[in-house]
This record gives sequence, C-alpha cells and structure tokens, in this order.
Amino acid sequence: MVNEREVKYDEFARFILPVGPVHPALKEPFHLKIIVKREEVLDVELRLGHVHRGIEFLAENRNLIQAIYLTERICGICSHSHTTCFIQALEEVGGLKPPERALYLRTLIFELERAHSHLLLLGIMAYQIGFDTLFMYTWAAREKVLDLFEEITGNRIHHAMNVIGGVRWDLTPKMAEKTIRVMKDIEVTTRRIYDFFRGETVEKRLSGVGLLSQHDAHELCVVGPTARASGLVFDVRKDDPYAAYGDLNDSFSVISKKEGDSYARTEVRILELFELINIVQAALDRLPNGPINLGESPVRLMRRIPRGEAISRVEAPRGELIYFVKTNGGDGLERLKIRTPTLANIISLKKMLIGCEIADVPVIVTSIDPCLSCANRITLVDHETGEVKVVNADELRRKKS
Amino acid sequence: MIWEALKSLFKKPLTVQYLTKPDEKVPVPERYRGKISYNRDACIGCLLCIRTCPAGAITADERKVSFSLDRCIFCGQCSETCPRKAIEITSKFEIVVYTKSEIASQ
Amino acid sequence: MIALEILLATLPLVFLLSLLFEGIDRKVHARMQRRIGPPIIQPFYDFIKLLVKENIVPTTAARSIFNASPSLAAASSIVGAAIPLANLIARTGIIGDLILVMYLLTMSSIMIVVGGSSSGNPYGAVGFSRKIMMLIGYEIPLLISVVSISIKAGPSLIYYDIILAQIKSDKCLACAYISSATAALTFLLCISAAVGVVPFDIPEAKTEVIHGPLIEYSGPQLALLKLAKSSTIFSLSLLAFTLFFYFPTIYELSIVLGEIATLGACLLGSLMVMLLTVTLPRTVFARLKIGQAFKTYWFFPLPMAITSLMLSVLGW
Repeated sequence: MVNEREVKYDEFARFILPVGPVHPALKEPFHLKIIVKREEVLDVELRLGHVHRGIEFLAENRNLIQAIYLTERICGICSHSHTTCFIQALEEVGGLKPPERALYLRTLIFELERAHSHLLLLGIMAYQIGFDTLFMYTWAAREKVLDLFEEITGNRIHHAMNVIGGVRWDLTPKMAEKTIRVMKDIEVTTRRIYDFFRGETVEKRLSGVGLLSQHDAHELCVVGPTARASGLVFDVRKDDPYAAYGDLNDSFSVISKKEGDSYARTEVRILELFELINIVQAALDRLPNGPINLGESPVRLMRRIPRGEAISRVEAPRGELIYFVKTNGGDGLERLKIRTPTLANIISLKKMLIGCEIADVPVIVTSIDPCLSCANRITLVDHETGEVKVVNADELRRKKS
Repeated sequence: MIWEALKSLFKKPLTVQYLTKPDEKVPVPERYRGKISYNRDACIGCLLCIRTCPAGAITADERKVSFSLDRCIFCGQCSETCPRKAIEITSKFEIVVYTKSEIASQ
Repeated sequence: MIALEILLATLPLVFLLSLLFEGIDRKVHARMQRRIGPPIIQPFYDFIKLLVKENIVPTTAARSIFNASPSLAAASSIVGAAIPLANLIARTGIIGDLILVMYLLTMSSIMIVVGGSSSGNPYGAVGFSRKIMMLIGYEIPLLISVVSISIKAGPSLIYYDIILAQIKSDKCLACAYISSATAALTFLLCISAAVGVVPFDIPEAKTEVIHGPLIEYSGPQLALLKLAKSSTIFSLSLLAFTLFFYFPTIYELSIVLGEIATLGACLLGSLMVMLLTVTLPRTVFARLKIGQAFKTYWFFPLPMAITSLMLSVLGW
C-alpha cells in the first residue's frame, strides 16, 4: 500500500494520477491510485468495493430458487457460469442427477457465453487502444451470439436457462441449425479479427506490455486466460470436467502461451474462440435425445435438497469460478461463498502495472478482463491508523438491522 | 484494414432501427420473456409463485395474487412454478410508462 | 481595408464550413464502421447545445488563463482558416502570409493545452506534456515543407503567390517538382498529428487521459475548443489542397462557370484531403504511444522534409 505521506511531492515530475472509480477506460468502478513520473508508473494502489452489493449475505436470506436468480445477476456477462456452478453444488448436495441432454445443453449455452464474453473483451481491447473500427466489427459479431441467446433462452444476457435438475428450455432443430450457421459466421469473423490484431499498429501497443512471468502467475494464483497466457496450463474443463465436458474432451485443447504479456492474453482468447466453435459443433453433433429436466415441480425439488455442503467449480470465461454452498435442510442457504475469477486475477494487476507507461494502464487493466461487480469485497480500513479489519457476517447483520 | 474499411463504406450499415418500417418493429423471438399475463380464473391460490419469485414482485390478493411489474425481473420462474399455468410470459416488451401508478394499472 | 472587410466577411463562412466538414468526417467514419452515423449537421446541434450549457470553472484552476484560452484558441484557428479562404475569394495576396497562418494554427493548439494545464487537473498536465512532445515532433517537418514550396514559388511566403505560381506554370506544384511532391507528402502526413486525431490523438486520448486538456472544460468554453479543433482541420486541409494540388483547370473553371465554381472545386478538393488524411487514418489505425509517435515523426517526415528543402534549394 502506498503511503501518501512518504511520497516526495517536491519532486516536480512526480504526481498522483487517480484512475477511477469513474474513468472512460474502466467500464466498472474501481480505483487505481497511480504514482507517475512523467509517463512512467512508479507505484500503484488498488481499491475495490465501490459496487459491493452483499450478494452472499442476501443469498442467505432467500430460498434456493430465489438464490439461483440472485447468483445469475452477480455478473452481467457470465451469468450462466454462475448459475451452473451454483446448481451443480445444489445437485451434489441433493444427490440429483440431471439427464444427459440437459448437461449437453448447459455446455452449449456455456460455450456460447464464452464466445460472447471473449468477443466483448476483444472489442474493449480494441477500444482501449483507440481502434474504434475494430471495436465495432468485433461487437457486430458478438451481436449475432446475443441474438442466438434471445432465440434459445428468451433473453440476451440473463438466460435463466438452469433449473435444479436440468435446464428450462429445449433446443429445437431449427435453433440447432441457426447455431451452426452463427458459429460458421463467427469463425470467419474471428479469423479476420485475428488478422487485425496481428496487424502492426495493434501489436505495437500490446506486445511486451504488462508482463506476468510464469513464476509470478503461479505465486499470485491467477486463473483462466490470464494464467494460460503466462504458460500455466490449467483449465477446469479439462482437469475436472463438469456438465458434458467429460464426453466432449476430445473436441478441444487447452490454449496456452509462454509470453505472458497483454498480446498473449488477447491471443489466448482469440484462439479459444476457435476451440469453442469446435466444442459447440461437437455438442450439437452428439446431443442425446431425452428429457431436459427431472420433470418435477421446482418447489418439490427444492425441498428434496437436504442439509449439507458442497464445493463446485467451473471454467467461466474469465477463469475458474468456485462456489461453496451450505444448505440448511429447509429450503434456504446457511452459507454461500463465491470466489470469482476476477478476484483471483486482480491482484496480479499491481505486478503488471509497475514500470509501465500511462498509456499502457488501460490496456493492462483490460487484458485481465476484469469483471468488478463480481469481485467486490468489504474491508474496513481505519483511515487514521491504517488498521485493517474484516467485517464478519454477524456484524454485517447487526449493521443492516 | 484499409480495404475492409473502404469496402464497409459502400455496404449497408449493420445498425437495426427500432422501427424497421413505419409501424413495424423488429420481430422478437418466440421465447422472449416480456410482460406477464395472469389468468385470474385459472388461479387456485396456492401462492407458490410468491415463494419462488426472486424479486418479491408478487403479493397475495384475496386468495389470488397480484403483480407489481416495477419489481419484476422477467425471469419467468412464476410461470414455471404455477401448477395450473395461470401465469404466462408474453413477448410484449413495450411497458414503459410515465408514472409509477400506471405500472400498477397494467 | 477592403482586405480586412473580406476577411471579416469570411469568418462566418469558416465557422459553417468547418462544422460541416466535421459532420461529413463523422458520417464517413461511421459508415466505414458500418454504423449509420449522426446527421451531417450534428456538429451544429452539439455546438448550440454546448453554448447554452452552464460553464463550470474548477476551484483549482488558474481562472484567467483557464477562461481566456478557449476564446484565444478558437479565434486564432478561425482566423487561420479565414486568411486562405479570404484570399481564394478575393483573389489577392494582400493579407496572405503563410508564416502568419502556420503561427495562428500552432497558437490554437498551444492555447488548448495551456488552458488544460491551468485547470489544475493532473490529466490536463499529462496532456500538456504530451502535446509539447508532439509539437516538437510534427511542427518542424510541417514548417519545413511550407518553406520548401515557397522557395519553388517565387521565393515568396505570400499564400496567393503560390497559387499564382501554380496557375502560371500550368501544373500543380506537387506534380511539377520532386521537391514539392516530397513536401506535399510531408504536409499530408503531418495533418493528422497537427489536428490530433487517432493515431496521434495522444494528448487527448480518451481511454488514457480522459481527453487530457479538455477534461475540465464544459459548456461554451468546450464549444469553443471543439470549434477550434474542427476549424484547424478545415484550415489544414484547405492549405494542403491549395498549396500543393491547385490544378490550373480549377482556375479555368471560373471562366466557364463563374468564380463560385472555383471556390467549390477548392472546397471539394480539401474535403478529399480531409477524408484521406483525417478520416481514413482514424478509422484504420490504433492510437500510438507518445514515444512511438515521436519516433514515427523524426524518422519519417522530418528527413523527408529536409530532403525536400535541400532539393528545392538545388532547384529540382
């Protein structure tokens, strides 16, 4: 942590540049206090917590069905990842086994969501380096995926696809056809986007920026594309298969790069787009027939879940997402603990930012694809003494009432 | 990139207007989750929808239920919970009004 | 005195034309991105809207400089654009000193950053230091290229003399001599940096320093700064077209169709120059870093400008 009093203000060229909580380079609020000397970043202090919503606490006051929709609204981009992870834990506690077709459909939506999330990031990356045209082209491709979501699930972002013991909506043959068509489109567009990203002006801005060595990545426990771009080969889809990934194991490979810079992180995402197109096609080819859920009323299913606890993890677009769920045997939750990928990744920002130029700050911040409303936690810092204390659930409850 | 940009200059814009033609909106897909329609006669008053509504948008009302659309998050859980299919999701999405009291009357 | 009257009469015309040029630029930019884009008169709407908005002066700002600099920037760039236009309309070289025009345009961009740095905002200060770096980068080749052609056309630094030289020699300068062709290329390359658009919008990069110098400005002051920028674009494109590509056929048009036709052809030509040097680069390139931009200018246009100057002295 940077102590303001220690910084020498008398040095002319050195000053504090506040980035955020409101800044055009950051789509979600967090605060970076950057100490710069001319263009060089000397030190960084990260502050989160501007959009803390107390979701874990809220979930404990709701029943399980209500909590599904609450977890869906943690993130506006990887909403399906959150519900899948939560429902997997519930199914583990309740000993429910969703039918095969439901697992395949979950995987399908999961991968489509990854497509839209990665395309979103590529667009924002282009926007951060002032390349508005590439941003528009990328988001035009993303729009097709969103339209597909609207058709399959009835909403562009919050799909409400998962229910306890399966999925809510079936895929009609017409939709499957359209999915394949859109995937072919996306493949062509991604190839073009890849060419643009390999073009000279973009590479100039991205390569060598925000280096994170394999050692540091391992030490800081980063996850997802950020880790894979630093040479760590780790993917929950391969290492601990969930949903239908076990069956689809042969249809994709884990992308990994050695460089560890912003360009590698972008490239990993582009190459993952090609992989996920394969997964979607394989999932559609092998889609088994049969029911899509357990066919019981949701309220009855909810009551069948006994007291117990489970940990579930999925590979969300941004990395490994972990849920710890403890049910109370009624229809509610005793404790919900969420470790989002951004929470794991955001610490690595400090390592990447120190020593870079001001112009690189938005690029580096974007390259880990931060999703901040997922990552906000409360830590109280006493301003006078610098003492840090963490508020526990009981205290929070008392404060609320 | 230059060719791509110059080619795009002579292509039709990708933007989709809200009204594709006068009085004609972009078609919404079949499953689109819009405004709730409630069949009061079919309702048996089990109040299960109140228990499962994540937003607390449904309240009991003389052994039946009533909806406050300003709290609705359009998840469609109530229509799934309902044992008699008295609640249906329509694809109507233009529900913007000027005052809060108008929402209640919808 | 007549010259001054013509100059004053041209001012509203510059205002209209520069905002119209900006509108066309935005429309073409949007179409290249496959968007519909704003209506062409959108800059007028923006300008009027900003004029009636509240003007906020931050408490940390040096008030007098902060308030004066937008007006100075707008005034100098509009006059800088009006001088060549007035010369074209009046067909005299009475007030057309090229050094004055270049000075006014540089003055305008310096006033913008001076105002920004006086706002007391750290982003304004970063924008200031970046702009000064950029000025060193592009201003020298830009000036050398102007000097190089003025040697060829006389030597004379009077704006209309250069045009007359092109009419007399029956060839536009860029086609006549190798030195002038090099100078023309240098000038065109420097335009996008001089007006500060992507890839050289480093001083006011939106995602990095939040519009740098413009960050604290609001209302009428912001309107004036925007006007300053768009009239600089207009002025530089007009200069680039008329100094280097004034084809004698344009002059002959006036004999057949009247003087309006000549002016129209000039404006159309400068519109083309703007689309080529401002709109196209900002569509197809990413923003450079300050070091990269600086290197680009010192390794490419600067040697070119010096070569051009040497060639023209040698009589090529």
